[in-house]
Amino acid sequence: MFTYRLELTNSCFGSFFPHLGRGLPLRHEGSTKPSKPFDFFGSECVDLALVVAAFVLAEIDQAWDRPGQDPPYLMVHYEPSSKQGAVTMSEFPISFTLEFPYTRTPGPVIGRFLTGLRDGRILGIRSGDRILCPPMEFDPDTCETLALDFVDVGPSGTVENWTWIAEPTSKHPIQEPFAFALVKLDGADTVMTHAVKASGPEAISTGMRVTAQFREERVGAVTDVYFVPEADAEKQSIEPGEGEVEITTHTISLPYTDTLYPHSARFAQGLLDGKFIGQRTRDGTVSFPGKGYDALARVVLTEADDVELPPVGTVLSYTTIAPIQYKGQTETEPYLTAIIILDGAGQTLTPQDIRNIPTDEFRVGMRLRAVFKPAAERDIDNVDNDWMYPSIGNVVDHWESSGEPDCPLDELPESV
Amino acid sequence: MRDIAIIAFGQTENKRTERLLNEAEMIAPVVGDLLKSVGLKRTDIGFTCSGSSDYLAGQPFSFVMALDALGAWPPINESHTEGETAWALYETWVKMQADEEIETALIYGFGRQSMGSPREVMTLMNNPYLEAPIQPDTISQAALQARVMIDKGIATEKDFAEVAVRNLKHAKSNPLAQCSGDFDAETLLKDPTIASPLRKHDCPPITDGACAIIMAAGDKARELCKRPAWIRGIEHRIDVQALGQRDLSECPSAKLAAEAAGVSKGKVDIAELHAPFTPQDIILQKALGLGDDTVINPSGGIHQGNPMMGTSLVRIGEVANRIINGEADRGVAHGSQGPCLQQNIVTVLEGE
Repeated sequence: MFTYRLELTNSCFGSFFPHLGRGLPLRHEGSTKPSKPFDFFGSECVDLALVVAAFVLAEIDQAWDRPGQDPPYLMVHYEPSSKQGAVTMSEFPISFTLEFPYTRTPGPVIGRFLTGLRDGRILGIRSGDRILCPPMEFDPDTCETLALDFVDVGPSGTVENWTWIAEPTSKHPIQEPFAFALVKLDGADTVMTHAVKASGPEAISTGMRVTAQFREERVGAVTDVYFVPEADAEKQSIEPGEGEVEITTHTISLPYTDTLYPHSARFAQGLLDGKFIGQRTRDGTVSFPGKGYDALARVVLTEADDVELPPVGTVLSYTTIAPIQYKGQTETEPYLTAIIILDGAGQTLTPQDIRNIPTDEFRVGMRLRAVFKPAAERDIDNVDNDWMYPSIGNVVDHWESSGEPDCPLDELPESV
Repeated sequence: MRDIAIIAFGQTENKRTERLLNEAEMIAPVVGDLLKSVGLKRTDIGFTCSGSSDYLAGQPFSFVMALDALGAWPPINESHTEGETAWALYETWVKMQADEEIETALIYGFGRQSMGSPREVMTLMNNPYLEAPIQPDTISQAALQARVMIDKGIATEKDFAEVAVRNLKHAKSNPLAQCSGDFDAETLLKDPTIASPLRKHDCPPITDGACAIIMAAGDKARELCKRPAWIRGIEHRIDVQALGQRDLSECPSAKLAAEAAGVSKGKVDIAELHAPFTPQDIILQKALGLGDDTVINPSGGIHQGNPMMGTSLVRIGEVANRIINGEADRGVAHGSQGPCLQQNIVTVLEGE
């Protein structure tokens, strides 16, 4: 078994812009593996973690690709696993998506604007002798509240400023090369940031005329509209919707990738093996899971500090959860969830669901034992580097009474 | 007004990707070395304040995890700014003005951009009803700003490239720099644009890194540091958020902050500008009233590294270090956040 260290280097410009591009080749160094340079996807030497890590790095920001230059490369150092220490990569790549499905009330001004877009109209608001579009709730100069005095503007206007996006991200409103522009609509005194669909950067210029085009499906959002060169605009006849737009939704979805840090990887491997692995800190308490360092003594902890905790603990608290329905919720019936501290641990486990013990039999101080799933059914898909809410994966089938008498309430172990 | 100075600054090497250390592990050695350099124990620090953003690494309460770098036990007097760390330093400065019992303070910032997609993350700072849904990312917005400057005849694409050339040249003397080297503008201009008229050299690098500063008041600063960098002015101002409401070729809030901080009250030897994109460097030089006698970004500026959320603190630290070691007598550090230099903070530092 080998561990490896990745080093990011860049053959162009020495230390200049040491980022990674797409399709990067890998080079490898060291004597314990065949020392031939190898291609990224073609090599038998590359295992999953490396491929994922490299792919991830390449994905990070396409804006930093540099066509026409020598591609940067990954330098891989192979080391015997006995040397495994703080600077080796774990074999557990992780990735997750942070999602926030926001539902917002737009208020009387933005609400009218979004209602207008749904109905094929673009509305500005009067602020003194100016018309602001998009409308604002307050005069940007004086902060005075503006009266709800709306004016139709557009649907054509003038490009005040633009930039050509040659490679749109998957989040951009137009999935082919397009322009972002600041558009001053006819009748408005301020400009709106929006997307312009044009054949190429030569088809757009400062001062050019553009016209709003409304999408077939409109939901009362700023994305209901986009712009095209005035000459390309199609005549649209739009049926107004019903009522005012009072709710607008906006889902934020952000991808992240990482690898489990070495101590987290040993913790995760322990879970797969049906063991709870923590780390003993200098004051004798066991951090579970380990953090890789001792936060009080401020020293790095290593594999030598790993300790296995028994799968037995005490209930410190519990509650019944009546599941409310939200995006991603899978529970429908009330269930028990308990705060359990393993014997010898300095921290409690994240709340553990209890499905097999009736609520009226459950109590604080109860002694419980974790019953692991069969090895083939254990997974650590949701284990990550987060120690504030550390997951113990999907390895425990259920918790059962250990058969011991309850811990007296005045002798409950302390925890942080 | 209580005299408060920066007495030490440190930062990690600026790396494109730090895959082996978490935030606390990145910060811990910086803080440890810094305390040692001024002969303080962690328990000597009167107030601690940090700056970061949970969105960068996608981890809730990452600033709480980062506290592990400090050994925060017994409990410490601590605060956090969800944003650029220059504002955490400002909070600390205000706190030290109000509470004379605080003699020393630690400010640290960190960013680990490599885990996520910075270009997508930063669109979240836009108006969530009117702008964020169409994803005007930071590069696109800065490109709009650049175009205004070109259309108004204020600067050319070559001027933008010259900013990168200058920064990269200065970064050669910075051992912690991520990007550095000798380039010429003509060659850089042969690159394709990412968001026209911006090319890669006009954009900030993506960096994983951390930085920290120790501040001290009055005689305590003189006791701990031979030549403290005294804060003679620190002010921040904000422009309206929507790009359409502003003349993007100017930065009124930076100008106001510079006036309030007293930038023009003396000769400015050096200035560190937090201009993520090269056109913004040109805008800021004008807004801050900097002339030819000021060396701009001696550290390499944004090109030396962009540990986002810590980047503005690095600007202050790089000016402070040059005053502490006697290279400069008076300097200006600028920090910014928000779309197209929306929010600006200006710090004036002087040696005695």
